[in-house]
Amino acid sequence: MTTVSAMSGAPRRRRLALSPFDTAVIVLVCVLLLAAVFGPFFAPDSIYTSDIANSLMPPSAANWFGTDDQGRDVFWRLVAGARTTLLSSFLVVTLYSLIGVTIATVAAAGPRWLDEALMRLTDIGLALPSMIVALGFAAAMGPSLKSAIIAMAITGWPTTARLLRGIMRQTMESQFVAGAQVLGVSRWRLMTKHVLPNSLDVLIVKWAGDIGNTVLVLASLSFIGVGAQPPSPEWGATIAGARGYVSTAWWTVVMPGAAVAITSIAFGLLGDIIQVRRDPSLGGN
Amino acid sequence: MLLTVDRINKSYSSFPNPPVQVLHDVSFSLAPGQALGLVGESGSGKSTIAKCLMALAAPESGSILYDGMDVSKARGAELLRFRREVQMVFQDPYGSLNPRMSVEELIGEGLLVHKLEPTAARRRERVAEIMRTVGLNPDDMVRFPRSFSGGQRQRIAIARALVIGPRILVCDEPVAALDVSVQAQVINLLRDMQRKLGLAIVFIAHDLAVVRHLCDSIVVLHKGRVVEAGPRADIFERPREAYTQALLAAVPVPDPEIGRARRERRHVLT
Repeated sequence: MTTVSAMSGAPRRRRLALSPFDTAVIVLVCVLLLAAVFGPFFAPDSIYTSDIANSLMPPSAANWFGTDDQGRDVFWRLVAGARTTLLSSFLVVTLYSLIGVTIATVAAAGPRWLDEALMRLTDIGLALPSMIVALGFAAAMGPSLKSAIIAMAITGWPTTARLLRGIMRQTMESQFVAGAQVLGVSRWRLMTKHVLPNSLDVLIVKWAGDIGNTVLVLASLSFIGVGAQPPSPEWGATIAGARGYVSTAWWTVVMPGAAVAITSIAFGLLGDIIQVRRDPSLGGN
Repeated sequence: MLLTVDRINKSYSSFPNPPVQVLHDVSFSLAPGQALGLVGESGSGKSTIAKCLMALAAPESGSILYDGMDVSKARGAELLRFRREVQMVFQDPYGSLNPRMSVEELIGEGLLVHKLEPTAARRRERVAEIMRTVGLNPDDMVRFPRSFSGGQRQRIAIARALVIGPRILVCDEPVAALDVSVQAQVINLLRDMQRKLGLAIVFIAHDLAVVRHLCDSIVVLHKGRVVEAGPRADIFERPREAYTQALLAAVPVPDPEIGRARRERRHVLT
């Protein structure tokens, strides 16, 4: 019984105690999410207007992370950018997970030749460096945040498809799947009601880890210039706009860079924490 | 005859080794309302027979006829009728119930799939009714399989199979994974159901003791061949084959004297 998860009506099983480090990661992720959801409502309007007299001020009590070349507050621009960055990453991961789940389900349910064809297609997808392909797609569609999101969504699915298809094949060996076949359920019901729900566990772990990775790639694409465009407060675009001041006003580059790094690592670690806590062989449940 | 198995052969490929033949010309038949026991040790091909009977695997040669239809060639509407009229209970009550479906969904699935009850309310009534029949509390229908013991899960599996009113129930070692005290309850339940519903049962087991109380006739299998077949009395009182006698000698008896005498004779074949 490796596939059970928390569900209604079940007695709560003993939970592992959270280590201080795990707690810190979870708190950090919550803070990031709260900043993304509510931050923009508190941000002053001045982050979208120039105030040249106040430009490139070092961190102070008034401007915690200093100001950039346009005199805009770096901290509040980061908070405003968190929504763009995280929302876009969520969207990207959700979109390519949907593609991956669909391809995996069709491969697992379909005849052998279809399975082979889809898996060879997945091999091709895995062999191509997704960031370069996304770069090509985004450039072809015209540089904008939307093209970066679409490009990443159509290049990110192969790992999900490969992983899930393997797990679904394994689930299909279960006795309850044979039981459903004996009962005469349709192929559609067999996959959606019996196989898929008992295979999706691993995607929860992968989903959190993928968010971290996507934040990084999205910021990279924006930095190169094919993603969000200045004056968007998106983090990669912010770094790109401020990179000329790295020697005179370090905070304009280091602060958004640190935001990307910390967010990416925090979601990656969250994935690891969920994995450990769900895997019975590692002491979780 | 309701079900006729005629000289079926089945082998499993194990590339690069040559294929292993697990069934050799197995034949038997089942009359309506009859309880048939298929008995044999591990590797005798019992579970393969169950798979072929349930059209989960097709024999290489020979045929399985159910009510005039060739089971391994049935497709579409014909196969769906077969699925409704021939049901199965699996060996492992922990693996044979989808852990993500409530008892109501599990038992009601057949009614839904075969469109026997169009409304959810009527399905719930039928589920409650069959749960009472198999000795479960209908209030538990909102719970999930993990809240139940092995014996209760097997009752759920039996209810799930019986709710659509099948004519044949194939039981693949349904009590092998259960405690001895629970085994008897499940076998009694199956016997009650057989009498009440006029159900034909194919009961697969690895020892004769389990089939004794349930089955009218018995087929003894060894290494994929039918060794001996006949009415219960003949098999138990006058076993002709040495293998059947060895199987009988392996049945534990509560009397130490008889038990000792039997152990003397047990070296015949094993």
